[in-house]
Amino acid sequence: MVLDDLGSSLRGTLDSLRGKSRIDEEDVEKVVKEIQRSLLQADVDVSLVMELSDSIKERSLEEEPPGGTTARDHVLRIVYEELVDLVGESTDLPLEEQTIMLAGLQGSGKTTTAAKMAWWFSKKGLRPAVIQTDTFRPGAYEQAKQMCERAEVDFYGDPDEDDPVTIARDGLEATADADVRIVDTAGRHALEADLIDEIEEIESVVQPDRSLLVLDAAIGQGAKDQAQQFEDSVGVSGVVITKLDGTAKGGGALTAVNETDSTIAFLGSGETVQDIERFEPSGFISRLLGM
Amino acid sequence: VIEEEDLEDPLWELEMALLESDVEMSVAEAILDQIREELVGQERKFTESTGDLVDEALRDALLSVIGVGQFDFDERVAEAEKPVVIVFTGINGVGKTTSIAKLSKYLEDRGLSSVIANGDTYRAGANEQVREHAENLDTKLIAHEQGGDPAAVIYDAVEYAEANDIDVVLGDTAGRLHTSSDLMEQLAKIDRVVDPDMTLFVDEAVAGQDAVNRAREFDDAAEIDGAILTKADADSQGGAAISVAYVTGKPILFLGTGQGYDDLTRFDPEALVADLLGMEE
Ligand SMILES: Nc1nc2c(ncn2[C@@H]2O[C@H](COP(=O)(O)OP(=O)(O)OP(=O)(O)O)[C@@H](O)[C@H]2O)c(=O)[nH]1
Ligand SMILES: Nc1nc2c(ncn2[C@@H]2O[C@H](COP(=O)(O)OP(=O)(O)OP(=O)(O)O)[C@@H](O)[C@H]2O)c(=O)[nH]1
Ligand SMILES: [K+]
Ligand SMILES: [Mg+2]
Ligand SMILES: [Mg+2]
Repeated sequence: MVLDDLGSSLRGTLDSLRGKSRIDEEDVEKVVKEIQRSLLQADVDVSLVMELSDSIKERSLEEEPPGGTTARDHVLRIVYEELVDLVGESTDLPLEEQTIMLAGLQGSGKTTTAAKMAWWFSKKGLRPAVIQTDTFRPGAYEQAKQMCERAEVDFYGDPDEDDPVTIARDGLEATADADVRIVDTAGRHALEADLIDEIEEIESVVQPDRSLLVLDAAIGQGAKDQAQQFEDSVGVSGVVITKLDGTAKGGGALTAVNETDSTIAFLGSGETVQDIERFEPSGFISRLLGM
Repeated sequence: VIEEEDLEDPLWELEMALLESDVEMSVAEAILDQIREELVGQERKFTESTGDLVDEALRDALLSVIGVGQFDFDERVAEAEKPVVIVFTGINGVGKTTSIAKLSKYLEDRGLSSVIANGDTYRAGANEQVREHAENLDTKLIAHEQGGDPAAVIYDAVEYAEANDIDVVLGDTAGRLHTSSDLMEQLAKIDRVVDPDMTLFVDEAVAGQDAVNRAREFDDAAEIDGAILTKADADSQGGAAISVAYVTGKPILFLGTGQGYDDLTRFDPEALVADLLGMEE
């Protein structure tokens, strides 16, 4: 099982259960405490951590371990099941014609991710195009254009137009030949009412098949409110976690999928267009628990 | 007299509140230890509740962390020999370049001229981004081709400033993660070659537990004099400020509070602590 290779403190606590066949409340309490620590250090929302640990505690005490399982394996399985239940499988991305819109906080990695995703789809044999609607950030047009050159994919942007909605509309027309249209948007956060209105307008013109929320792996407890706002405004069908090449654990993404009832689509782990992979639950859960 | 047991519940609640505010766990625990040490054995007056005493001790503990090493940035720049060379470091996308643009405006508002050096010779669109800021602000920009040596760009800007009586050199660097040893070594090299008067570490207020790791690593690679926390307008909990100040022992100097050039405010430790204390509803 994936959780066999746990972080040292969690492993230590679980190891004390190794020989036991029955588990008592005190044992569970200890294990749950360590799991709480790991999840909190991974930036998972505090109240979500409490919910998770309550449910792990309850199940560990109530459920009868299947014959022959040790107390340790019993708890481990429950922890794993609870987390898998929450993160789910990778966001479903059929290899067919579609339009995907990216949204998220300033600097979270949207533009880079747009080019990476386009590269990813092109490797799957589809023809992608990136549409840059960010008219706000200086150099956004050139950044996206250069990243698309590196990814060898089509690009649309208009440095002379200052209305993102117009660019989105024109961009969809201009990239009609593409199979997958990826619409990049300017960075914004939940409290910027004007910018939230703006992305709602872009969304209503683009009518994306999927909107992905791009989250920095290091985002803290604010992930919850941010995710909630983007869900309310444009509907979040999946999350992309970026900058996983650092030491941040990405627990904000767990909060976000919980908040938006969605799943994780991609992971970003570098600045080049190839530094992208599809989400895979067990590796992510290992990271969350501090392995 | 307050016993250790009396504190268990209030301190647990406090720990959760600190974590909810994005204070890093080991930092939160150190703060709690300090409070525990101070309060255990203390006589409680008839009218005081343990909770009140904890709140008071928390306020003191937070202030002592966040107030660390505060200095008057304006004064230091005004008094230093010109040009004052400031290099900005930090991980990807936190707001280094934007903060430089804001600071150029800030300095100009105080009668000081600046030149921006684009030491980000790596990221796509970096030159175009900083050029547009420089044009908007009418600030001189020194930039090289993509792929050039970042230390050389900043060095050129220092020479330009010396030749043209410019007061401050604002040296940008490419974003990098502290896990990339090559890029961290490059940062250390910039620090050696340029030998800046000040190194400012930029991080974002929305950052969670990882803030301590990167602050520590950046401080190790190119010792920092202070920090700027950006995106404080995004409803951040403020805990990242505590984490960064605690692990580096260096002051937070500015907050970024938006994307406009004027969205830069001097950091006020008392105000942050008041905000944080508002956290325990
Ligand atoms: N190391 C690393 N850097 C990344 C990753 N994804 C993005 N970046 C970097 O993070 C910074 C911000 O990325 P952008 O793509 O510009 O982010 P954005 O969300 O488009 O930013 P705004 O448009 O300003 O909101 C850049 O320096 C990128 O190179 C990643 O997975 N790993
Ligand atoms: N809301 C808000 N956005 C900010 C603030 N500071 C910077 N930003 C935005 O954050 C994004 C990234 O800013 P940059 O200045 O490019 O960040 P950087 O650290 O130079 O990024 P790299 O050079 O790619 O590592 C941009 O969209 C900025 O407009 C702030 O204080 N508040
Ligand atoms: K949803
Ligand atoms: Mg962008
Ligand atoms: Mg920059």
